[in-house]
Amino acid sequence: MKTDRNFTLTYILLVIAQILICNFINTGPYVFLSILPAAVLCLPLGIPTILLMIIAAVTGLAVDWLAEGITGLNMAALIPVAFMRNLTVSLLFGEEHVDRGEGFSMKKNGVVKVSVAILVCQAVFLAIYIIADGAGTRPFLFNLIKFAISLVCGYLISLPVVNMLTSDKK
Amino acid sequence: MSGRTHIFRIIINAAVFIILEVAALVMLTHNGEMQNIWISKGIHNVQSFLWGGAENIWSYFTLRRQNDELARENFRLTNALRRYGPEALRGTDSDSDSAVIGGYRYVMADAVKVSNNKQHNYLILNKGYEDGIEELSGVVTNSGVIGIIDAIGRHYSYARSFKNSGMVVSARIGKEGPVGEIMWDGMSSNGAVLREIPHHIVLHQGDTVYTSGFSAIFPPDIPLGTTGEATVVNGSTYNIKVTLFEDFSSIRYVTIVSNIDKEEIQELENADED
Repeated sequence: MKTDRNFTLTYILLVIAQILICNFINTGPYVFLSILPAAVLCLPLGIPTILLMIIAAVTGLAVDWLAEGITGLNMAALIPVAFMRNLTVSLLFGEEHVDRGEGFSMKKNGVVKVSVAILVCQAVFLAIYIIADGAGTRPFLFNLIKFAISLVCGYLISLPVVNMLTSDKK
Repeated sequence: MSGRTHIFRIIINAAVFIILEVAALVMLTHNGEMQNIWISKGIHNVQSFLWGGAENIWSYFTLRRQNDELARENFRLTNALRRYGPEALRGTDSDSDSAVIGGYRYVMADAVKVSNNKQHNYLILNKGYEDGIEELSGVVTNSGVIGIIDAIGRHYSYARSFKNSGMVVSARIGKEGPVGEIMWDGMSSNGAVLREIPHHIVLHQGDTVYTSGFSAIFPPDIPLGTTGEATVVNGSTYNIKVTLFEDFSSIRYVTIVSNIDKEEIQELENADED
């Protein structure tokens, strides 16, 4: 119970951190930093997909409302991450992780597999976010560069987030 | 977890995903001007794709009806041209399947069966004696002579195809050129031979061959094909290869033509033979 409470608190703090990043850290036009995909990835595996998508939607909406953004943008990008989270975990760590609701961590599953999971979630999130944000007005090359740089940066800031959220589940 | 429950769960998950995504997109359209235009454009593209696809499918399934209407229209226009020329394209009766023009009676018909791959080919047409069809009427299209009615039933008639080794039609090179007889070459699907053209005539390859009108069956000036290579036969006449206009493999709509004065002409011919 204590672990669950700690996780919920950590998750809320991460959402607040994301709001602060959006509001106060100016990364320029080519970088978009988000820790939300990593946060959704690390939500307990026992949560059903429907609830997971609702949590992702609420999280995205909170960031959209409280940060300087277009309402619905983070929400639209984060829901697919939640939708495919269990599939990603099943493919990378084995189906038993999802079936048993067993958590994953860098120590247990290795940095490579966890990194791939982070990159997949970040890629899905960024692809939708960048395309929807540009709304067909930006050149493909711009979107591609922004995607690549944001993916690398997002991966780097997601590593400690994942480590923090999964370290309690030993 | 049973397979059915698993599939049901996937469907439910997908449905909730779609609902939440649609909700997010609705919020986007209401809050971002560019996103509103972009999503509206996407929706319009999808709509036009779906409507265009539906329209194409509908058009495909109504092709038969459209073909019938076009054939009827074509028949009406052809009759008008036969009668008066282009001036007559206004105010002609579009409902009738038959017309009497210039001493010939024309009846529109569908070929319900066509034989093409034999030495003695035939056609079955969907008009019989109840439609006023008579034996020894001609079967034509705008592109040539198709055959001659040989037998008639109540609603159908049997026609000997032009692609028949024994069938000969009187033909002329150009509208005022020499007259000979044309018959199928017995080999190709669009090849014929024009015979009995006098040796002294100067020929040009590519000249159009028409029906001569020197028979009681076919009206004059129906284009049949174009002339090709010529060979001298017996030192006195030419045999000329003709490439027919008509594609016998795709015959669908034809016109049955009968000479109104055919009996009178035949009586005169018979009297002369007696």
